[in-house]
Amino acid sequence: MTTTTNDDQQTKLDRMRYIKNRSAANLALLAIVFDVLYFVLLYQSDVGNYYYTIITGASVVYNLLFLLFAFLAEEGVKNYIKGYTYLLLAMGVVQIVRIFIVPMQAHSAVVTVSSVDTPALGDGKFTWMVVFLILSAVCLMASAVINYSKCRTLENYLKTLENTAA
Amino acid sequence: MAQLNLQHIDKIYDNNVQAVFDFNLDVKDGELIVLVGPSGCGKSTTLRMVAGLEDISAGKLLLDGEDITAKPAKDRDMAMVFQSYALYGHMTVYENMAFSLTLRKENPNVIHKKVMAAAEILGLTSQLNKKPAQLSGGQRQRVAMGRSIVRNPKVFLFDEPLSNLDAKLRGATRREILLLHKRLQATMLYVTHDQTEALTLADRIVCMSMGHVQQIGTPIELYDQPANTFVAGFIGSPPMNFYDMKVSGDELVGKNFKSSLTPEEKSLLAAYQGKEITVGVRPEDIAEGNEFKVKATNNENLGMTTLLHGHIGDATSADLKITAKLKGWKNYRRNDIVSLAFSRKHFFDKETTNAIRKGE
Repeated sequence: MTTTTNDDQQTKLDRMRYIKNRSAANLALLAIVFDVLYFVLLYQSDVGNYYYTIITGASVVYNLLFLLFAFLAEEGVKNYIKGYTYLLLAMGVVQIVRIFIVPMQAHSAVVTVSSVDTPALGDGKFTWMVVFLILSAVCLMASAVINYSKCRTLENYLKTLENTAA
Repeated sequence: MAQLNLQHIDKIYDNNVQAVFDFNLDVKDGELIVLVGPSGCGKSTTLRMVAGLEDISAGKLLLDGEDITAKPAKDRDMAMVFQSYALYGHMTVYENMAFSLTLRKENPNVIHKKVMAAAEILGLTSQLNKKPAQLSGGQRQRVAMGRSIVRNPKVFLFDEPLSNLDAKLRGATRREILLLHKRLQATMLYVTHDQTEALTLADRIVCMSMGHVQQIGTPIELYDQPANTFVAGFIGSPPMNFYDMKVSGDELVGKNFKSSLTPEEKSLLAAYQGKEITVGVRPEDIAEGNEFKVKATNNENLGMTTLLHGHIGDATSADLKITAKLKGWKNYRRNDIVSLAFSRKHFFDKETTNAIRKGE
């Protein structure tokens, strides 16, 4: 029984040489999806021209960069490149930080439209935007952790193979 | 165990064109059968009917005794290797080879073991992470074969797998297929129009023309005892020379040359005394001698042998052309007169084109 388990484990390790790191790559893709949902909600909002600021412009630019680097990282982790772990972690942290920039500020801001004070961002939309950013961050970090772990495992396995060959 | 029986198979297309006529063949377990013939003779159609890619118009197809005539291709447990490789360009070699098993939702570890075993057999282990575009034609064809091997099918079907390769690679891949067959001991059906492939690969050859089976036999049988002038002309390179000659006593009399008959040949042709027959002579069965003279038109040196093309006597008509494969390096020039002799002849009935054999 133990032999079979060891054999299965060994085969699983050997498979890593030829199988892409799909779990980490798919999590990175999912992070992109959540980010897209976030900015779709953000750009839908147009309460009393509140969003027409430099922060919104920066948000657009960041979203473009996010898409670019997230796709890059997705391809990187798919091929077990350990360096992308750090990029994914950094992007995850930035997603959390973003909660405190646009959504938080818009939620606490009040805009006067036709002499009536209106919240720039309602509770419902605010909650969803925060949830999407958190989910995006979680996916990025999970992708990073999985990638790091798999890269280490594969590195160790390849070293074992090299030693055996030598 | 995989025995394949094709019983009275016909293929008639919707426009009433019949591509295959009464095809009968019993393929033994582990046998490599090569279907050979010129383009349009029905060999690929027959293979596609076996694979289930074409409907069988009439007849029965049995696999290990089970009638699979109406079974869809996916349930026939056969794997086909195409001329065009049919690999997925966006997948790696490993993924291409594992694809059919992944679709079947087999255990990933089992898939891995099968792919690695097939890659080892085919010498593809170092190529597994590459995409098909990064491989040579021969390697791509090996991947296509690997994809078949991992399925462990009952029958392997090859549809002109070497046609896209250059001559050198074709020879190398041909040897690999032969080794693969020896290693797997699998039942294989192989289609080609190249008689060299047929002679070198086959346990038995099925020679076809115009949808009809002309002869089924081992390579040496087809080469040595061709059933008719078609098989005699198709098998062998350069092709056999044919002459219309009259049987007259101890000799054959042609338009402007004669050839003597041995006592065995004379007895074989006893029923044809005074009649015209078709005499076939392979270029390699012609040697320098004193039987007749040939006017040389062309001389091709191949190293160990020389191909001499010319006309018998002074004739220039097409039916007296001759190609001789002479031993050694010769330097005949155009219009040189060379004395030659037949060392072996094949005889065919002029009307039926069938070979004249003892007791027939």
